[in-house]
Amino acid sequence: MAATTTVEREHERQHDPGVAAAPARPRGRRPAWLVLQRAVQYALMVLLALFCVVPFAWVALTAVDADGGSTVQVPAFSLGNFVRFFTDGDTPRLFLNSVVVSFAATALNLACGVFGAYALSRYRFRGRTTFMFAILLIRVIPPPATIVALYLLMVKLQLDDSYLGLILAEAAAALPITLWLLKGTIDAVPYELEEAAWLDGCTRFGAIRRVVLPLVGPGLGAAAILTFMAVWGDFLTPLVLLQSPDLYPLSIGMFRAFTAFNQVDWGVLAASALVYMAPPALLYIFLRRHLMRSSIGGALKG
Amino acid sequence: MQRPGTPRAKARRTGTGGRGALPLLLGPSVVLIAVFVIAPAGYGIYLALTDTQLTGFAARDPHFVGLENFRNLLGSEDFLASLGRTGEFVLWSAIIGQTVLGMLAALLLRQKWLRGKGLFGTLVLLPMVVPEVVASLTWASVLSSNGDGTLNRLLSLFGSGAAAPLQDSPMVSVVVINVWRGIAFAMIMFQAALEDVPDELIEAARMDGANALQVFRHVTLPLIRGPVFLYLLLTTITTVGVFGLVYFLTQGGPGQRTELTSIYIFQHAFRDSQIGLGSAASVILLVLLMLLGLTYARLAKVEV
Amino acid sequence: MRRNRVLSATAAGALLVGALTACSSDSGKDGPVTIKLVEYQKPRIAVVKKLIPQFEKAMAKQGRHVKVELVADTLTDDQFRTKITQQLHSGTAPDVIDMGGSNVTGMAGAGYLLKLDDYLDKWHGWDQYYAPAKAAARQPDGSYYSLPHEASVQSLFYRKDVLKRLGVDTSQPRTWDELIGRLKKIRAKTGGAPIVIPGGTAWGAGSWTEGFLPVMAGTGSTFYDAESRKWKLKSKGLTATFGLYHDLIKDRLLPVRDLQNPNPWEPTKYKKFPKGTLPVSAQGSWGWKYDWGPDGSAPIKDVRKKVGTWDYPALVPGTKPHSISGGGFGYSVNAHASDPDAAVELAKWLSSGKPLAKQLVAVGAVAPRKDLAGVAPYKNEPSLLEAQRKLKSCVQPPLGDGEDQVSQAVQSATAKMLSGKADGGQAAADFAKEAKELLGSTRVAK
Repeated sequence: MAATTTVEREHERQHDPGVAAAPARPRGRRPAWLVLQRAVQYALMVLLALFCVVPFAWVALTAVDADGGSTVQVPAFSLGNFVRFFTDGDTPRLFLNSVVVSFAATALNLACGVFGAYALSRYRFRGRTTFMFAILLIRVIPPPATIVALYLLMVKLQLDDSYLGLILAEAAAALPITLWLLKGTIDAVPYELEEAAWLDGCTRFGAIRRVVLPLVGPGLGAAAILTFMAVWGDFLTPLVLLQSPDLYPLSIGMFRAFTAFNQVDWGVLAASALVYMAPPALLYIFLRRHLMRSSIGGALKG
Repeated sequence: MQRPGTPRAKARRTGTGGRGALPLLLGPSVVLIAVFVIAPAGYGIYLALTDTQLTGFAARDPHFVGLENFRNLLGSEDFLASLGRTGEFVLWSAIIGQTVLGMLAALLLRQKWLRGKGLFGTLVLLPMVVPEVVASLTWASVLSSNGDGTLNRLLSLFGSGAAAPLQDSPMVSVVVINVWRGIAFAMIMFQAALEDVPDELIEAARMDGANALQVFRHVTLPLIRGPVFLYLLLTTITTVGVFGLVYFLTQGGPGQRTELTSIYIFQHAFRDSQIGLGSAASVILLVLLMLLGLTYARLAKVEV
Repeated sequence: MRRNRVLSATAAGALLVGALTACSSDSGKDGPVTIKLVEYQKPRIAVVKKLIPQFEKAMAKQGRHVKVELVADTLTDDQFRTKITQQLHSGTAPDVIDMGGSNVTGMAGAGYLLKLDDYLDKWHGWDQYYAPAKAAARQPDGSYYSLPHEASVQSLFYRKDVLKRLGVDTSQPRTWDELIGRLKKIRAKTGGAPIVIPGGTAWGAGSWTEGFLPVMAGTGSTFYDAESRKWKLKSKGLTATFGLYHDLIKDRLLPVRDLQNPNPWEPTKYKKFPKGTLPVSAQGSWGWKYDWGPDGSAPIKDVRKKVGTWDYPALVPGTKPHSISGGGFGYSVNAHASDPDAAVELAKWLSSGKPLAKQLVAVGAVAPRKDLAGVAPYKNEPSLLEAQRKLKSCVQPPLGDGEDQVSQAVQSATAKMLSGKADGGQAAADFAKEAKELLGSTRVAK
């Protein structure tokens, strides 16, 4: 599979591939039909885009509404909801918990993943292919199928209801993808470069640091973003593993707030939603250009 | 510089740093995966064969009950219904909804003359990148049974009365939400796949007088079969594992009409403390997924 | 270099985690004894918060240095039950737990709770308890694992004013047929479902304790045989009870849609009943304060004038109208509490005299002991005193190991009726089948 193209690359293409290509026919041949076709396609594009974005209207409008309700209305502009979110009661703690858990899990995941992927890429050992295959198979397991046993296991290890337990579980869950991704990226780094470094007197680890790591930057970035997004947005694992309210991340906090029914503060809830969705949305949108091209492609090829 | 493959380079490969480094490098990953991913899977199988509970005398003294939990489940209307619902959910949202709309989006993005593709792409991405709790929340407002919920406002434009979709057609509602969420992933996968369709073939077909639909069916589609099947497999797996998106909004309700198997497992294991039963349900789910995966692999091989 | 950055990020993360974990763990063990008490309902939290300093003072007078930490987390019954089960299972639960009696059987069975028999035998307070209250707290193995500090009476609450306005008879209905006739009349006039009885899975354990059980307990059929320790899953009473649900659903007297949605008590008890559009509700005596009192979840003005109570009418021929002694909350002690004596002291103190009176009034509970009638502020609550008088003649609901499983089976059987998938007979059969599977054949009578 070729690397995913970015929207920008389209403009560089000379040919016009795809369904409704404008063929090299004599001009003037059925232009009305063509115009209709294009109009339809524009309409489809607009409809699809609207479908995707309209639900967010409530979040955006109610978050800045002084008396937000559960439906879309013209807001009475105020940033009070955000202020309350960051200062009032338990909500700042929710945000802090999400940040701590996500960053720690991502860091742990990357640390283990980059070295593990290096080993998988450079060492030929018995069972390597089995290991890679097993990792792929793990990807098939949906979280709800293992959560029950995971909970009991965590209790036995006395890691339930703790930061550490959640972080370890999240980091481990994201490892298969990270390992696959990074292995593909490291595969693409020519071995000769490392050898050259050794010839220059580097140790193996030194060579990794000087040669390999800088070149897998985009791969690391992609793995970091994927892991961060998965952990940041996770709902089921913290729901099951955590019982203390002061450990709840934003996902659980918002759930408790939403199901409190009578006493829902919609404005603050919308503000929390906005805050909660900002990091992954921004990360992904700004960085996908740099990352999608090289690393995902590399991983998909691998 | 030495070329790889020459004796000196070969010696180097297994030399400096040596294989001693392997456990150190790969060790932590293996330990993490073994303890937090593989062990639960195995432990789950063990638990499925016991009558473990969290309350009652069985909590103190769990017994090995063999296949009894499985027998209960396979004879349980509730469980089988949840499997049916999960199948419905996967079929309509993943296999049909996301695929069709995702393909549409990918095709649209390939039109050179279409303006605003950058913005379009970003907007379609938004539902995928936000946390699932936020996704549910946005749709809670859209589907609100209030007169001025977004959907109801739209319906009133068409002259229709207010609807309560989460009450009356909960399954349809969650299917739509999941489709909304998954379009971007399909779009990305298909974009990559469509790259591999050589323009010359398309041109040639056009020259021969084929219209757009025929080109798609006979030229494009056969060439992207492999990636499409891979995509279908991935999205089926992900969709079977959907929990928060639905639970946040309905908690399986109204009644049990949106109780997917993932929610069934959660309710029985944690709300009702039936650990053994919940584990057995998890095992059955996994087995079904394995079978599905094999079926996909078989189908993909035949075509590609 | 990147590797260093990764390392330092991990280290920083670890430090931060460590710091925060230390911050959230409880205070040191040396020095005063700290007992953790958990409350999960707002009115209880409010009243207990004020009582704690008094307890600590009382302990100090005895020369004991005891500190009480209140763990306050507002949750629904089912959410709390899930959470406390997990905490007890993992050994991280608080020392003293205030919860409903329906939770106690399962947790005692699992070995999570401290046996209180020795403490209670030595306590004069215990002699003041009514026999039904004690019986309700005694577990199948004959011991006590909770110190009840409430009792309640389960009846049918109804809007006197609304019924009078609609011209419906407000006297005690003698049979369900009679009541159904009146309900149909109300429905004809209002167009909406006139009665709410908990049922289905959305109401959770309440479907069992507040919905099904009170009706079933008055039918005269044995449900749980304490001698053989087995449940009788098929009986006339059970068939009649399921049949009653079915009749109510068939005649559209129950708010089916509301019962199927999460938090079904909100639209029914907290919106429609106060509004008067749903004028009859199965309810425990705490409703006077906890639900509809001036500080309750959905206050009704002049509630004593507008609301009256009926006993449950007779369902099966040969029985009489009855009210059920519902449980109330009780203080249980974690079997692994670090200082069980201090924990039990707290439980005893909170279950006596003025502290108890204050809690009873805050929540609308009935005193389980004889000596509260003269204690302020309890003595100023006529509705509660009246309910207390009824206590002596109440029917006892059955209590047995496996109650949780029976509760579950009841919830799904009634849920099936709500969604129209089963009638009374089928629901009774489904219930028997599922309960048998969940209980295991050793706990089911032939």
